[in-house]
Amino acid sequence: MAGDTIIKPDLQFVKRVMAAGGDTVKKCYQCDTCSVVCNLSPDQKPFPRKEMLMAQWGMKEVLKDPDIWLCHQCSDCTLQCPRGAKPGEVLGAIRKMCIEEYATPPVLARAVGDPKFLPLLIAFPMLILLIMLKFTGIIGVGSGLSIPDGPIVYSKMFPTLWLVDLIFVPAFFFAVAVLAKGVMTYWRDINAPHPWRVKVEGNLAANLIATLKDIILHNRFRLCELTYNRSTNHLFLVFGFIFLFVVTSWGFLNEWVLHHESPYFLLSPIKLLAMAGTAALLYGIWNILKERQTNAEKADYGSYYDWFLIYLILAVGVTGLGAWLFRLVGIRILAYPTYFLHLTAVFMLFFYAPYTKMAHIVYRTVAMLHARMSGRGF
Amino acid sequence: MEKKFGVYLCKGCGIADAIDFESLTKVIKKEGKIQHIKEADVLCSPEGLAMIKEDLNPEGEGINSIVIAACSSRVKYEEFDFPGALIERCNIREQVAWTHEPNNEHTQALAEDYLRMSCARIKKTEMPEAWQTECDKTILVIGGGIAGLSAALQAADNGYQVVLVEKEAELGGYAAKLYRQTPSSYPYTTLQEPVVFKKIQEVQNHPKIKVMTSAVLEKLDGQPGLFDADIKVGGDLETLRVGTVVLAAGWKPYDATKLSHLGYGLSKDVVTNIEMEEMAKAGKIVRPSDGKAPEAVAFIQCAGSRDPEHLPYCSDFCCMASLKQALYVREQNPEAVAYILYKDIRTPGQMELFYKEVQSDPGVMLTKAEIAGVELGEGGKVLIRATDTLLGENVTFEADLVVLATGIVPVTADEAIINLGYRQGPGLPDLELFSGFADSNFICFPYETRRTGIYAAGCVHQPMNIAMAMEDGVGAACKAIQAAEHTAAGMAVHPRAWDITFPDPFMQRCTQCKRCTEECPFGAIEEDEKGTPFYKINRCRRCGTCMGACPERIVSFKDYNVDLIGSTLKAVDVPELEDEDDPQAPFRVIGLICENDAYPALDAAALHKLRINPCVRFIPLRCLGSFNMVWISDALSRGIDGVILLGCKSGDDYQCHFAKGSELCEYRLSKLSETLDKLGLESDRVIQYQIAHSDFDRLPQLIDDFVARVREIGPNPFKEF
Repeated sequence: MAGDTIIKPDLQFVKRVMAAGGDTVKKCYQCDTCSVVCNLSPDQKPFPRKEMLMAQWGMKEVLKDPDIWLCHQCSDCTLQCPRGAKPGEVLGAIRKMCIEEYATPPVLARAVGDPKFLPLLIAFPMLILLIMLKFTGIIGVGSGLSIPDGPIVYSKMFPTLWLVDLIFVPAFFFAVAVLAKGVMTYWRDINAPHPWRVKVEGNLAANLIATLKDIILHNRFRLCELTYNRSTNHLFLVFGFIFLFVVTSWGFLNEWVLHHESPYFLLSPIKLLAMAGTAALLYGIWNILKERQTNAEKADYGSYYDWFLIYLILAVGVTGLGAWLFRLVGIRILAYPTYFLHLTAVFMLFFYAPYTKMAHIVYRTVAMLHARMSGRGF
Repeated sequence: MEKKFGVYLCKGCGIADAIDFESLTKVIKKEGKIQHIKEADVLCSPEGLAMIKEDLNPEGEGINSIVIAACSSRVKYEEFDFPGALIERCNIREQVAWTHEPNNEHTQALAEDYLRMSCARIKKTEMPEAWQTECDKTILVIGGGIAGLSAALQAADNGYQVVLVEKEAELGGYAAKLYRQTPSSYPYTTLQEPVVFKKIQEVQNHPKIKVMTSAVLEKLDGQPGLFDADIKVGGDLETLRVGTVVLAAGWKPYDATKLSHLGYGLSKDVVTNIEMEEMAKAGKIVRPSDGKAPEAVAFIQCAGSRDPEHLPYCSDFCCMASLKQALYVREQNPEAVAYILYKDIRTPGQMELFYKEVQSDPGVMLTKAEIAGVELGEGGKVLIRATDTLLGENVTFEADLVVLATGIVPVTADEAIINLGYRQGPGLPDLELFSGFADSNFICFPYETRRTGIYAAGCVHQPMNIAMAMEDGVGAACKAIQAAEHTAAGMAVHPRAWDITFPDPFMQRCTQCKRCTEECPFGAIEEDEKGTPFYKINRCRRCGTCMGACPERIVSFKDYNVDLIGSTLKAVDVPELEDEDDPQAPFRVIGLICENDAYPALDAAALHKLRINPCVRFIPLRCLGSFNMVWISDALSRGIDGVILLGCKSGDDYQCHFAKGSELCEYRLSKLSETLDKLGLESDRVIQYQIAHSDFDRLPQLIDDFVARVREIGPNPFKEF
């Protein structure tokens, strides 16, 4: 270490960590059992011990510590901690604060993490959709809600042009922009001089590809002991998302470029992929939910932040499946409202992505890339 | 009294399976010269004991001096207790049956030798009579702090008069100067009002406690039961007669001016834990430099403690005191923070629970740290540079106020305090071993000091917190009571707590060499105007160190003296050696073993059925300090081939129950080697080993090696004579 670092503890930061889900952080007495037990932790400067201490000392620099993202919250440390300090949960809380720190605008970031704002967060997309419904005449002054007649065609409710493209595409790109801004600032910050900085070396692109391969294969997840099953469940979830992303993009291509109109033949490749994706997503998220409940006593139940995303993804999957099935079976009175809910859920998933746990997609990837390029055994 | 002898043989516990009782009986009659012999299957059974009691009946046989040939004297002492009779315990169970091959000629020879020895010994033993005086049983407590108050209450509640002497005008000591104290009862999570105030009330209202404040003990003379305490109050001197003493004079803080490397003196805002407590008690914690309330307070633990250049020891409560003061800081301002910079966090007793509670406060931040330096920072702040922290390698803390958690120094480090009018000096001897604390190595006897009748409690004894000091005071008071009662009954206090014998010197042969006076570990011997030594019997622990020291051999106890031991070892049968190179040749070795560690080690070896060399005959001594050199000449002139002495560990961490015994014995033996060499005898024939009770498994090898060495040297040339 070159010069001395002046420690500037911030009492408010400690309190914020405790409020964000790390309420047990002060129980840690630095025995290092967590770091020893963690299979994902590198041998040099392991985590989560030092992060626990930094949180106890109110050192905001912990938000710029990439090690918090190397943690996959497998909860082996929480299980073994002799004091019940739950390092897994504390790190989860710190990650939440990290996401809030790098997301813009800050007010939205804080709202997404706060249970008080849940009704507003749900109401916002619903409001937009209801305004849309007014334009399309589904809601009229004096006439209330009316269900379109005839075969169920969702574009009767929400014309594709107005809806998918004018609302969801911008929402999607908004999220991407916020994430990009956040992660670029983050990369700059973790490479800035600080007491624990390790310099990066090597080719960025090659290392990124290797990191992505590592992620896709879920190699880290298989190191977890208590929550080993996530290596399968999360894999299904990820592939579910990938398939559905492909399907959505393919659909977009069909609509705007190839002019193949939906609905498509049930057994066509796009539909098969969609079914596979839906099944995988639902299988993954359902098992993740069940596992968390099973492990609740040992690994802790999880915070509002964790469950917000779980229920959101579950809602996306269930409403998506529901909307499709009701359309096929022809129950109009159920189909359209389910589709409405599905759109609400999907909007929330995209638009709030930079502020929810979903943001881990970029931050964790970048942290793992950083670890790989700074020779930390990744 | 006219002695009528009897020998009682026990056949139980495997004894009869190892030894031929017929042969044994013949030896007792012919050589031991005792005719009245009885056997029992289990001597300690009601039938066996009844048999003995019947014989002891003065109307009946009128036996009054008995040899009980059975188990070790360390067991069954309640069963084999016959008041009015002289009892000699002959250990043929542990020392013969359990450690030697059964029905073997060497084993038989050993058993017979032990009976010869016991018969010789009982002939020389006289009935002890207690030396009793009009003893006072008042307990003098020096120090009115939490330990002293607890001691006073314990003694007074048990019916004893107490005199409590306190040098300050107020009772309570340092405990009364606290703003709050750490919790002393479950759940150990909240600070409390110092408990000492309640104790002060109780003491002041107690009819049996005479409280003397602004009072100092000028001189303490005499002996337990008959102490004369000169107490100065203001200008007046009052002399009181007391029985025993509890020393609870407490501590003073370490001099912080020596801690300039931690910033003391550099800035007014670097204070000690005592100064911090004073501020809290006065109502507000502020920066002394400008009177502002601090936002960040750093506590440096182990300030001048556990440091070879300052205090080498840990002062026990400073970790908890700093955590407590951190809570003061937080209570005064919920936005302020406290940093605890520690080497380790020590939580004596149940304090772990308190530590957990303080830890849960978000404003108390802890890290391990080695303090590299303290400097002035900007804006009147203090910078603390630290290495080896949990936060990274070299870090600097910035604080408004720095508290050095300094340690304690016992008052006995610099002053005698008890001010004894003893020839050996006014204070407790050799306290450098304990960094000045009135402590001892007597793990079996806490509160003990090297002055009989004086017991130490509280922080003058060892660093301890309030909860421990209360217990310590109670314990020391119990010991003081025991000492007062025993002394009044003419009985030794401890470790020989049953002993009513006392040293009775034959003064006509005294040459006034004063070896006894100097060597007595407890300063029990004074010197008169003519330079003649005389005993203060109540100070005596009956170890016999004086007996071993005296070149004229004038000191004796009724059941333990030079002639008695000499006769015992001369009773050993020394057979002729036909072939000295035969590995089975009956060489003879005497083992003089101290009854405190070595004898129990032998018993432990026996319990484990380890085999001991059959050449050795053991004679227990009260302490190796009582070893007199004439026994070597007695043994060698009888043809004994070697003498092995087994005693407790000596040195700075001595285990000797009489402090100096085994060390003195070693010293005397070193003089002996010269004499032996001049006589043409090899000094290797006499050896001393230090043995702890737990070393029993090493004993067989140790003894075998010595006997092998003796065999190598060859038989004693004096054997034929």
